[in-house]
Amino acid sequence: MLKLEAYKKVIVSATVAASVAVLAVGCVEDVKPENTSSTKSAKVAIDGGSVYPVVNGKTGPYYAPEQKLAHHLNYGRVPNAAELAAWDTDLQPVSELSPEGHGIPEGQGSVEDGEELYDAKCVMCHGDFGSGGGGYPALSKGNAEEMHKTLTNNRWKDPEAPGPVRVFGSYWPEVTTLWWYIRDGMPHPFSDSLTDDEVYALTAYILNINEMSIDGEEVDDDYVLTREKFLKIVMPNVDGFEPNIRGANALPGVRAYFANAKNFGAQNLNQGAVRCMHDCQKATAQVKHIKFGGIKDFTPPMSTVRDLPAKKAEKLDVKKTYTAACAMCHDSYLAPGAPEWSGYTANGMDEVYAKGMKGTEGGMPAKGGTDLSDADFKTMADYLVSGKVK
Amino acid sequence: MAKKELQEEKTLARRDFFKKTAAASVTALAGTSLFAHESAGAGDPAIMNHTKWGQAWGDPVDKFHYGQPSPYEHNNVRRATSLLSSGNFRASIAVTPIHESEGIITPNGLFFSRSHGGTAYVNPNEYRLMIHGLVEKPIVLTLAQLKRYPSVTRTHFIECPANGGQEWRGPQFNSVQFAKGFMASAEWTGVYIKTILEDLGLKPEAQWMLAEGSDNSKMGRTVPVDKVLDDAMLVWGQNGEALRPEQGYPVRLLLPGWEGNLCVKWLRRLEFSQEPWYCKEETSRYTDLKPTGKAIQHFYANEVNSTVTSPSPEIPWTDVKEGDIVEIEGLAWSGMGTITGVDISFDGGKNYVEAQLKGLVLPKSWTRWSYMYKIPKNFQENGKQIILASRAMDDAGYIQPTIDQEVSVMGVEAVYHRNAVETWEVTESGKVNHVEIRSV
Ligand code: HEC
Ligand code: HEC
Repeated sequence: MLKLEAYKKVIVSATVAASVAVLAVGCVEDVKPENTSSTKSAKVAIDGGSVYPVVNGKTGPYYAPEQKLAHHLNYGRVPNAAELAAWDTDLQPVSELSPEGHGIPEGQGSVEDGEELYDAKCVMCHGDFGSGGGGYPALSKGNAEEMHKTLTNNRWKDPEAPGPVRVFGSYWPEVTTLWWYIRDGMPHPFSDSLTDDEVYALTAYILNINEMSIDGEEVDDDYVLTREKFLKIVMPNVDGFEPNIRGANALPGVRAYFANAKNFGAQNLNQGAVRCMHDCQKATAQVKHIKFGGIKDFTPPMSTVRDLPAKKAEKLDVKKTYTAACAMCHDSYLAPGAPEWSGYTANGMDEVYAKGMKGTEGGMPAKGGTDLSDADFKTMADYLVSGKVK
Repeated sequence: MAKKELQEEKTLARRDFFKKTAAASVTALAGTSLFAHESAGAGDPAIMNHTKWGQAWGDPVDKFHYGQPSPYEHNNVRRATSLLSSGNFRASIAVTPIHESEGIITPNGLFFSRSHGGTAYVNPNEYRLMIHGLVEKPIVLTLAQLKRYPSVTRTHFIECPANGGQEWRGPQFNSVQFAKGFMASAEWTGVYIKTILEDLGLKPEAQWMLAEGSDNSKMGRTVPVDKVLDDAMLVWGQNGEALRPEQGYPVRLLLPGWEGNLCVKWLRRLEFSQEPWYCKEETSRYTDLKPTGKAIQHFYANEVNSTVTSPSPEIPWTDVKEGDIVEIEGLAWSGMGTITGVDISFDGGKNYVEAQLKGLVLPKSWTRWSYMYKIPKNFQENGKQIILASRAMDDAGYIQPTIDQEVSVMGVEAVYHRNAVETWEVTESGKVNHVEIRSV
């Protein structure tokens, strides 16, 4: 295909340019023969690494029959408009080239509605005001602008210093990511279940707990987020990333960035690094041991013994299973023995079992996301409803 | 001849054999339990007695329609830790037992498994792949249609860029499985995306490709077209069979050498665009925060790396003695090219000698290396416990940095892409401890 050929040329010339840049800084003459290979080309890939073009019918060590590729194969079919609309739902941020972004839907939602939704569908994992914990990511650590300043904290210079705060408000470059991910990925056990307005409301709430402003206006408790306002959001860390990937001609800059090992903490023998064989550590370097025995909490526990596996005692531990698999949701709603259960048991336990095993629209994942046997799940349900272990 | 005599003769003959071989390799045999039993005159029960499996019927051939490892291998398994687990082990990782791995291929059941919303079970009959955006002709393919494209088979590792990422500020895991096992390697079969694009025609303004999964997190990542037109593949085969669900059955993206996270599993859609996407894993996740406060985004390749795998904290040298000659073994890999050499150190990376590469040496693949070593008294050299270190190089010229070198540019908050030389101290009793050699 003509277009593709033209494209390849663009890339080839760019990679050649990048490798010329490398030659200028490095000392290629010093490369020892064992550090070069006859099968790879002198070009540099976009990641700064080797490329293996097809030479004499081989790419690197692999044969690469090319005759197959000379034909049009024409497999599959063209998707129709409805199919494209169903799947092409990604969001891209507002940019110079796209002042409206891409795929950002109409809709609106208030901080107030967002808070209500959050308390119903998110708080059990992400904590009050998005504080996170228990392995669940925090969605806020306070004022986004303030937290953004912590990104230069590095515990290498001062081990006692607080580290950088890496949450949505302080770190993420674009707000479209939040909207898109909440719609497609959350709530975690039952994704793709929120309406666009609900996603706007949850986004508004998360902006609110990150104490952010839009176009100079604080996202306070009465704020209503609309698409129009959403397009104006600028994240505090929007310029916090390298290399640049924005714009119609971003790739040459990306190639140049990774062509220079210094940018990403690498050592390259073609760029002045040496293969040191003697006295290669700094005089100040010390042996650091693992403190306090290190992390040992492995599932299953570490062992290299070659014996027959112990027959598993398959007996259900009700309390342990509850803590591991149900508590993160049920502690706050429908706790063991809680009075609200009466609203569920009116038609008898069989219906409770059945719904619990199948999962519900209201947020109960099938069997709570466990692989318990039906019998064991029923025992668990009995415990939740009665608060007693039989 | 009486049965007893015959047996004595056999034993004698065996002794003879032992004498001869013993002369040739005293060290290889000395101290084995077999020798100990022999000198006591009893004979090793493992040889002298009948075994259960040697007399009774074995299993019928049709017992397992899909074969299982020996039950004795039940400890050779993936492991997880609650410290790296979110979402009830759904946004989590289970890591490969590289201390037990052989060669450069990981069996499918031991391939490390990382997901962001749990392992999805995709029905292959309902599988669809959509390719659209800045192409001349958008398409939808069924699985059978995709597999009709001319296939290629390649051996590549896949590595989570957070392999070793818990240890920027100091060692944490006294285990090679957890310190370095966020990776595994397989022989993958699929089609180059550039082959499909020959059919569809890529528009010249396209710079980026979105790869999107069909799992409940709709995992998406942005890929530059350079990689798409180089060696990016859509794979459906893993070590001669269909991908495992944990690896994205029925189809995943494979970007040889690049972050495992970019190799989107349960793949359903590729879209080409002039502008990049900013996916959930292109935020505070999968970017490397430097001391300047700027983070490296789109940090694609897993850089040159290596580790000793034998001995290890898991399988130490507590059963070897002074004078024994043992093989030190390890893995080297680079997502940026082909391994060209590995150096080994016994003093924690102060001084190095060359180790030997073994077996196949392939681009962007695990590569085995080896060094035959004579065990010194108390595992000490020059009065100090030995500290094993390996340092790999690749054909793009990259060589592993010291911790001090890497940290001087990257600081200690980067989380991802840590590839400084890894060090393993051997104690007086032959135990192996993961340590770090660093100034800060
Ligand atoms: C991700 C959150 C979550 C987890 C984990 C979870 N539940 Fe639930 N569960 C809910 C919610 C929310 C409801 C209310 C559902 C509704 O009203 O539709 C519920 C309802 C139920 C019901 C009543 C179903 C009905 O509609 O009659 C049972 C029984 C139940 N859970 C058992 C369990 C057990 C046992 C576990 C652990 C093994 C568990 N759940 C884990 C969120 C969860
Ligand atoms: C059952 C637990 C659970 C529930 C309920 C839940 N989440 Fe999450 N959430 C997670 C987990 C686990 C992750 C991390 C996923 C990963 O690592 O890829 C996450 C990640 C996120 C993130 C990305 C955070 C980051 O810094 O990477 C956002 C935003 C988010 N959730 C919003 C929500 C919203 C809004 C809701 C309610 C509609 C919700 N979540 C409900 C478990 C949950």
